[in-house]
Amino acid sequence: MRDYTIFIPEYIAAGSAVAIIGLELFMPKFRKDGLAYLTALAAVAWFVAGLFFIGKDPKSFQGLIASDDFTTYFRLLAAGIVFVVALMSAHYMRDRTKTASEYYGLMLVGGCGMVYMAAATELITAYISLELLSFTLYILVGYLKRDNLSSEASLKYILLGAFSSAMFLYGMSLIYGVTGSTTYAGIAEALSGRESGTDPAVIVGFMLILAGVGFKVSAAPFHMWAPDAYEGAPMPVTAFLSTLSKAAGFALILRLFSAAIVVDAAEWRWAVMVLAALTMTMGNLIAIQQKNLKRLIAYSSIGQVGYMLITIAAIGYGDPQGGINATSGLLIHIIGYVASTLLFFTALTAAYNKTGRDDIDGLKGLAETQPFLALVITCSLFSFAGLPFFAGFATKLFMFQGATTSETMWVVGLAVLNSFISLYYYLMIIRQMYLYEPVGETARWKVNPVLGGLAVALVLAVLFIGMYPGPAFTVSEEAAKPLFEPGVATGMARVP
Amino acid sequence: MVPLENYLVLSAIVFALGVYGVLARRNAVLVLMAIELMLNAVSLNFIAFAAYLDPGKITGAIFAVFIITVAAAEVGLALAIVIRLFRNRATSNVDEAAILKW
Repeated sequence: MRDYTIFIPEYIAAGSAVAIIGLELFMPKFRKDGLAYLTALAAVAWFVAGLFFIGKDPKSFQGLIASDDFTTYFRLLAAGIVFVVALMSAHYMRDRTKTASEYYGLMLVGGCGMVYMAAATELITAYISLELLSFTLYILVGYLKRDNLSSEASLKYILLGAFSSAMFLYGMSLIYGVTGSTTYAGIAEALSGRESGTDPAVIVGFMLILAGVGFKVSAAPFHMWAPDAYEGAPMPVTAFLSTLSKAAGFALILRLFSAAIVVDAAEWRWAVMVLAALTMTMGNLIAIQQKNLKRLIAYSSIGQVGYMLITIAAIGYGDPQGGINATSGLLIHIIGYVASTLLFFTALTAAYNKTGRDDIDGLKGLAETQPFLALVITCSLFSFAGLPFFAGFATKLFMFQGATTSETMWVVGLAVLNSFISLYYYLMIIRQMYLYEPVGETARWKVNPVLGGLAVALVLAVLFIGMYPGPAFTVSEEAAKPLFEPGVATGMARVP
Repeated sequence: MVPLENYLVLSAIVFALGVYGVLARRNAVLVLMAIELMLNAVSLNFIAFAAYLDPGKITGAIFAVFIITVAAAEVGLALAIVIRLFRNRATSNVDEAAILKW
């Protein structure tokens, strides 16, 4: 069926992107922070349009791309992230660039890329939407043209990104060769119809696909681009990278792994589990010795990716009900992780606008000069570490619960151990803020009201999810269900 | 008719050469060329599979067309970024882009 109405919210977002770029083209004098507020407005419209799609019957566009609750979940998430990051960038970009419309336009387009990644039920569509998101990120990372670090980060990101896409594609071509189909349903059918026995082409294909998507979500050992891209990128783009691109990568992985190749789970689940263990350990251990805050958050987010990957392995080990539990655990943790990350970067952007420093020592004595920001940063770090009453605790708990099967038990144990390691370097940041005297200027300064309001709203959200996770959990469970309906994932006949 | 295996072996060799180029080359433009080589190997794979295993259907060929298009866009973008790095630092050598590390 050709039903063009299933992506109306994305038409709104993409249309606004073109309108914003056109606005600056014809009115070059338009206020640069005004563009940010327009983008935020577009994101609100996108979000509201997305609300109408909740709970509707799943629809598919000729089996290529589907609009169901899973898609709508990522649609709302994308709109929310674009909203927050646009407001976060308003003053940052105004002070640093002369043209900002492409920045905001690309942000909206990148959000659409994420939605299509979540919606794709066919390899070509998945690839094109992955590249749509990646291209916008390459440009956004290098947006500060005269900045040495920004252009270097962008070059490293695009070279490794293109390299990983090529590997991903080679894996896809092998899977296509074995199954003769590029739709997820067709692949699942052909794989389950195959007489059993391991086919080297299939295993190599799975491993290459895993390496490709591992690059995109920055799983170790494919993580080396992430710290560089995070550190060199403009501050709000770092927030965008660590929330949107991570969530999008997992959207693609979830749909691809649960709908297409879950039938041959025995051939990839052990690899995902090893990848998860390696990723969380490396991320957390390397984070300890970091001096730059963005770089530290990059490694800490690599650690978080490690925790999230366990759920993917758990999908491979469980039955459909176990799959729903694991997926909804992952989805709820994505909400908690995104909220805490956005909170952290909102506060950090406010501090950076004032001090111009993004290393850990730059936060020295922040509790003296700006106690509110110090409190906000502390909240977000506690949430990252998973302390009770903050979002990170509840969501991580649900995720580990969903991911625990008899085979994945040891990785979950390792993840809990890693959470303790991570507490150490989060507390190091808090120590800088509270136990040291400020360097230089000691007078109190005021936070920009937009960033302050945003920080208050996000703190409330983090506390709300932490103390009352019910609504977030219901949302994630509803979003997880379409992936495991019989018929969508044809033949959940699993290899024992 | 040439058997399918020949195409697959050829494409695997081209892909491996591409990987070698990415790892061994020091100039960003040459790294990009190596990545192009990898993408071409993938296209060859897709077209060979489409012609031999999936007669009458052209999904693989369509995929190849998309890969060529996206690869062109990717190179355009990457060259723009290389030029910017060159303007800032007067080098297109990936080894010298090493301010950000560890």
